[in-house]
Amino acid sequence: MSYLLLAFHLAVVFVAPIFVIGIVNRVKSLWAGRRGPRLYQTWFDLVRLLRKTPVYSQVTSWIFPVAPLVILATTVTASLLGPIVPGYAPLGFAGDFVVFAYLLGLGKIFLMLSALDTGSAFEGMGASREATYSALAEPVFLLGLGTLAWAGGAHSFQDLVIPNGSWAIDAVLRVTFAGAMFVVLLIEAARVPADDPTTHLELTMVHEVMILDHSGPELAIVQYASAMKMTMLAGIIAAVLNPFSAMSYPILAVLFSGAFIVLVAMCVGLIESLIARLRFRALPLFTFAAFLAVLTSLVVVTANQGEFH
Amino acid sequence: MDRMLFGTVALVTGAILTVLLPKNRVRVGVNLVSQAIACVCILSDTIPILFGGPELTGVLQWSFPVERIDLRIGAVGAFFLTFSLPMTFLGSVFATGYLAHDIRGPRHVGMHFALLSMVQLSYLIVYTVQNAFAFLVGWEIAALSAWLLVIWDSRNQKIRFAGFNYLVSTHLSLLFLVAGIMIMHGATNSFQFADFQTFLGQPSNARNIAFVLLMTSFGLKSAFFPFHTWLPRAHSAAPAHVSALMSGVIHKAGLFGMLKFILMVGQPELWMGWYLLAVSAMSAFMGVLYTITQRDIKRLLGYSSTENVGICGIGFGLGILGLATNRPILAALGFGGGILHIINHALFKCLLFYGAGSIYRFTHSIDLEKLGGLLKSMKWTGPLFLLGSLASAALPPFNGFLSEFLLYYGLVQPAPELGLGRMPMMLFAGVLAIVGGLSALSITRAFGLIFLGLPRDPHHVDPRAREHPCMIVPMVLHLIGILAIGLCPMVGLKLIEAPTRVLLSLSRKQPAELMTFVPHALINSLTLVAAIFVGVLAVLLVLRFALLPKSNRRHVTWGCGYTLPNTRMQYSGSSFSAPMVAVFRDLLKFLTREELPQGVFPKDGHYDTHCVDGVEQTMFKLLGNGEQVVGNVMRRLPEDTRFSFAIGLAGLLILVALVAMK
Repeated sequence: MSYLLLAFHLAVVFVAPIFVIGIVNRVKSLWAGRRGPRLYQTWFDLVRLLRKTPVYSQVTSWIFPVAPLVILATTVTASLLGPIVPGYAPLGFAGDFVVFAYLLGLGKIFLMLSALDTGSAFEGMGASREATYSALAEPVFLLGLGTLAWAGGAHSFQDLVIPNGSWAIDAVLRVTFAGAMFVVLLIEAARVPADDPTTHLELTMVHEVMILDHSGPELAIVQYASAMKMTMLAGIIAAVLNPFSAMSYPILAVLFSGAFIVLVAMCVGLIESLIARLRFRALPLFTFAAFLAVLTSLVVVTANQGEFH
Repeated sequence: MDRMLFGTVALVTGAILTVLLPKNRVRVGVNLVSQAIACVCILSDTIPILFGGPELTGVLQWSFPVERIDLRIGAVGAFFLTFSLPMTFLGSVFATGYLAHDIRGPRHVGMHFALLSMVQLSYLIVYTVQNAFAFLVGWEIAALSAWLLVIWDSRNQKIRFAGFNYLVSTHLSLLFLVAGIMIMHGATNSFQFADFQTFLGQPSNARNIAFVLLMTSFGLKSAFFPFHTWLPRAHSAAPAHVSALMSGVIHKAGLFGMLKFILMVGQPELWMGWYLLAVSAMSAFMGVLYTITQRDIKRLLGYSSTENVGICGIGFGLGILGLATNRPILAALGFGGGILHIINHALFKCLLFYGAGSIYRFTHSIDLEKLGGLLKSMKWTGPLFLLGSLASAALPPFNGFLSEFLLYYGLVQPAPELGLGRMPMMLFAGVLAIVGGLSALSITRAFGLIFLGLPRDPHHVDPRAREHPCMIVPMVLHLIGILAIGLCPMVGLKLIEAPTRVLLSLSRKQPAELMTFVPHALINSLTLVAAIFVGVLAVLLVLRFALLPKSNRRHVTWGCGYTLPNTRMQYSGSSFSAPMVAVFRDLLKFLTREELPQGVFPKDGHYDTHCVDGVEQTMFKLLGNGEQVVGNVMRRLPEDTRFSFAIGLAGLLILVALVAMK
């Protein structure tokens, strides 16, 4: 059974990113009254980019070609720790969610460094924004998981998403955490309203402006890693809200999580069709709202601590 | 103990010879040899203790006021000696490169190296003696030699001022220390730590006051917020190796003092843990917040020390909570993480300061806004600085991550005894998270501005400059330490096992769970993750450069349509941190000097912003205007009846409270 789960996990981590981007784009197209590209169009884009000969900026150093590989390596390693169904991750140990968050942090730093490596003011600006908003999202993620760890009495990422305790409190915790996680996803994956991936003006970008000078394989790797990160975060949301544990109902758990990742991708697409990007000044408030949600769940756990370990 | 005494004699003889011998080269050579001998002798004594050997004890006889000095090297002292001595030696090696110009010149550099030997001597005293008087002597030797080392370039008025500022602050710390010791001396009529221990073992008001006084003193020594004001000035003024040693090694004495005091208290109270946690969390947060606004590399690294001692302090606070609630696992993770962070910080912070020194010798500047593109010309310093910075942002797979991991793991441990107290513990985990995010921003900014892009000020490009091997070798050795602990966490845990065990032995519970305070499976998993990461990265590197198209095609950086970019148009340090500064605007203090262009034919304008230390500003203001404030109160007291009534009532309340507490 664990082979099935492993196969599902790896499939989601490595293959689903292509479709997740496809679904987001399809939803946006449908909403705008177009048919839109194929769901696996990203695959062709990536292959095309991988075949191209890159052009580097004259200013760049060895950091520039190496950084995308570090980003991909951190994302792949982190993906082995993050659960997609409750109770299962290829690698799990106490406190692994800290390793998960910090590995992604390492990847982000290399993305910012490769942006600064080009000496461009625009890319520096993107790096500065990325650094700011992801630093503010960090406590949301870790405090949220810490609260779940307290409530569940578990310490590894895969176990602390398993339902535990009275269902009412559990539901509150899970929904608030999933909500906060969704905000983190929008920020980390650079989607509207935190960032607009399709804007044509460099001044208004965060993630896209950092990769202005990436081309060919480097661009493909960065984009693939970024899609992978988004899928992983969607997977965590799915795992938190999944009522079926991988140990008791593996098939149901896998189906639910798979469907939920599609749902999250559709939500991202819908949000992108419906609302505009927030002003940069409002972004810290957006993160703060997520932080408040997590804080509320922490208060709920504190108030009911008798029920927990 | 014999080898230890031999080492001490070698050190002192070396220091004297360094001053007396002719010729700088000879002096430096003799000094390094004597330091090396002392290190080998003393480490051969301390390392066995660290790996489970028995404690070493000895007695020295001295004249009247002291009479008897007990010497004892326990696991905690052995731990501090084991990293302090060789790292100071490496600092001296670095100094031969950093001061190469002075060594060739007519100036007597023997004094400087002799002072480094004296710093070594101060560790030997502070970390071993069991007598408060001798402890104070060692403390003072460290403070005075550090001060003299800071003002090496004493012809510069700014440096003299920074040195004086340091001297005053460090003596404020001494003042608190003396006050604390006097309380204990008053209660026991003795200067022996053994007697203090019996006094501190019993809860009393005097003990609480001693605790706060000593924590303030040690906090000043280790530059906890808000007692850090001396630190950025001193660090930017001192030669690079002195900054490195002060930040990484010398001022760890404050943390040693905390551990020593906790050991003497035995069974601490809960509030002590919360107090230390709160102070340390504030220190970690404010320290890292200041790093993102600095434009002087060494000031930036100085503030980062405040952050890192804060992280160590969070560990100690957690450890005290563990002891007070009788949860050995909490105590083990807290003390273990805190102690491990001491050595981790020493490793990466010395590396980074050495890097800053190397940059300074290369470009004659440590101003972020003037540097840029150094990665291409500094083949060694660049990568070393990068890896050191990643370690300092606590990223895996480097050493800083391991200690922070232990702290996170400790903060989310179940502890029903704490009741509602678990909520603040979670919030402290949140503080650690934002500190991590901020320090990631700060190191990206520092490394990116110094080493990437193009030089912002062409005056600081010297094509003849070379990296000095004596400066590179200590950095490489520090990096080896960083990687050893980061990639094989077992190495780090073995180093801290003995001192952590000593602290754990204070716990009333002595179950088998103490034997493996961090489960081996957990450590193996961390090693596995590090191995997977390195493996995946290696495979990807091979695949990328073997299979995918490579190219030498170069083009200008995309300027978004602008065709005449120059190097001054790159993103600057202050603009990089601007969005984050906007979020925490209220906590920071900026000085703005502006002369904006006006009129139809404007003249040249300028606009400067400068992040100043808010605490220091307030302090100077109080010192400058304090007399006036007191004067105002004194004048209002007899004139304004309501005001004097209010003061009188408040005084009465305090009196009643004091009487009620009796």
